[in-house]
Amino acid sequence: MVDLLSLNFSRFSAALLPVGSAILLTILVNLPVSLMGGLFPAPILALPAIYFWALVRPDLMSPFAVLFIGVLEDLLSGGPPGLWAAGFLAAYALADRQRDILAGLSGAIALFGFAAAMLLASATAYILTWIVYLRWPALAPLLLANVVTVMFYPLIALPLGWLHRRVVGATRGDA
Amino acid sequence: MSWSGVRPTRARGVFGTRTSVIVCGIIAVAIAVFGKAEASIFDTARAKLSDMTGPALLEVRAPLIAFERWIDSVGTIFSVYRENIELRKENAELRKWQDVALSLENRMQRYELLLNSVPDIAPPAVTARVIGESNRPFVRTMILNAGTDQGVTKGQAVANERGLVGRIYLTGKSTSWVILLTDVNSRVPVVIEPSMRRAILAGDNTPAPLLDLDLGIGAASTGDRVLSTGDGGLLPAGLPVGVVMGEGNELRVSLFAATAASDYVRVVDYVVPPPPSDPADVSPAVAGAKRPVATATAVARPAGVIRKAPTLPVDTARAAGSNVEEDR
Repeated sequence: MVDLLSLNFSRFSAALLPVGSAILLTILVNLPVSLMGGLFPAPILALPAIYFWALVRPDLMSPFAVLFIGVLEDLLSGGPPGLWAAGFLAAYALADRQRDILAGLSGAIALFGFAAAMLLASATAYILTWIVYLRWPALAPLLLANVVTVMFYPLIALPLGWLHRRVVGATRGDA
Repeated sequence: MSWSGVRPTRARGVFGTRTSVIVCGIIAVAIAVFGKAEASIFDTARAKLSDMTGPALLEVRAPLIAFERWIDSVGTIFSVYRENIELRKENAELRKWQDVALSLENRMQRYELLLNSVPDIAPPAVTARVIGESNRPFVRTMILNAGTDQGVTKGQAVANERGLVGRIYLTGKSTSWVILLTDVNSRVPVVIEPSMRRAILAGDNTPAPLLDLDLGIGAASTGDRVLSTGDGGLLPAGLPVGVVMGEGNELRVSLFAATAASDYVRVVDYVVPPPPSDPADVSPAVAGAKRPVATATAVARPAGVIRKAPTLPVDTARAAGSNVEEDR
């Protein structure tokens, strides 16, 4: 009975890990510090986590969770609400539609897959800014943030991959 | 090396996932539209969130700042010798300018005394600690540990020891958010010295904001100083902002205030002086009979208020002959 309870608890905790890791990264990137002297925009660290889990465990990263993470990102960063929420959902939709192709990519090629998702998320947020605020925001900082985020992808995906194999994947229902 | 070399798990009910994505997408767009129309709801949520996380941010910031400075210091090790030589040269040059400045300050004080000039009153200010910074593609902000409880209100100017940093755009009870001059949404009226040309300083998320010169008349060239102006009743006049850089139509401003280095800032509680209730108080004839004539600096007028600006008589000849001590 105790074993059954502890098994359920570990499965429950593991199921929360994908969303939890994305929330943790959102909070982490919004900590009150600007490394590199504020010369470069901070990376959008939640997106690598959303993209990774949307590819490997979409059942544990639902669109509603993505929406929540996006709104949290908008609230914590001080930006207009809804922009990154829409951007994250666009990237999620890409990962959902092209899962077989994107999940099969490995090594440096996997970076291109994520770069495509990042670009789609940024383009969505950019166009939504224009639609809602009737003004094109500066493109250069957005592109710079894209580059910085893509560079961070391996650093995020490697530990997430380990978590998936050791913790989350082990409790997979259909494994 | 594989970063995603794992077998993907199919989500149960693919059609359901796609429908959910569409529904969530519509919700996100609705939030964006609603967020513009009813910004106060999201601002209140954001302010409450920063109020709640404020103490934690304060604790977290100290070690992170120490780490940030250590990283910076590693980068400067290799240039410290060259910087030292440059600083010595700069210091020698500045010593000369210090003598000139002291001499001019002395002369200015004597002129002000002769003209019975009304002294500039420094507006009250709240000193606040920076507990958060956000450098994102769509926004550049700072979070301060002072809010409505400390008298901070929306629109107040924020400056550090070097110059203007930005304006308060959101206040909680114990925290407030600053929109930096470099933010894409920042528009601040400025004046360019020595031509006194008015312009708008428009942020575009780059370190040097653009100068919008559409409205002003006068010259503006590289090296000119840029100060805040009281036009529109937004900011106190005379806060140093930066120097003009660039050529042609696209002039930018190199800001004095390096926001990344700001630990403490001043939130200036600037209030536009109210117009006098009794017109007789400002009548040149009556004023001249009642008291010595005073020379005043320009008074800012609140935005949107069309009213004859109150004027104080300026008569240097009479002022020079008046008893200047009487008014002080």
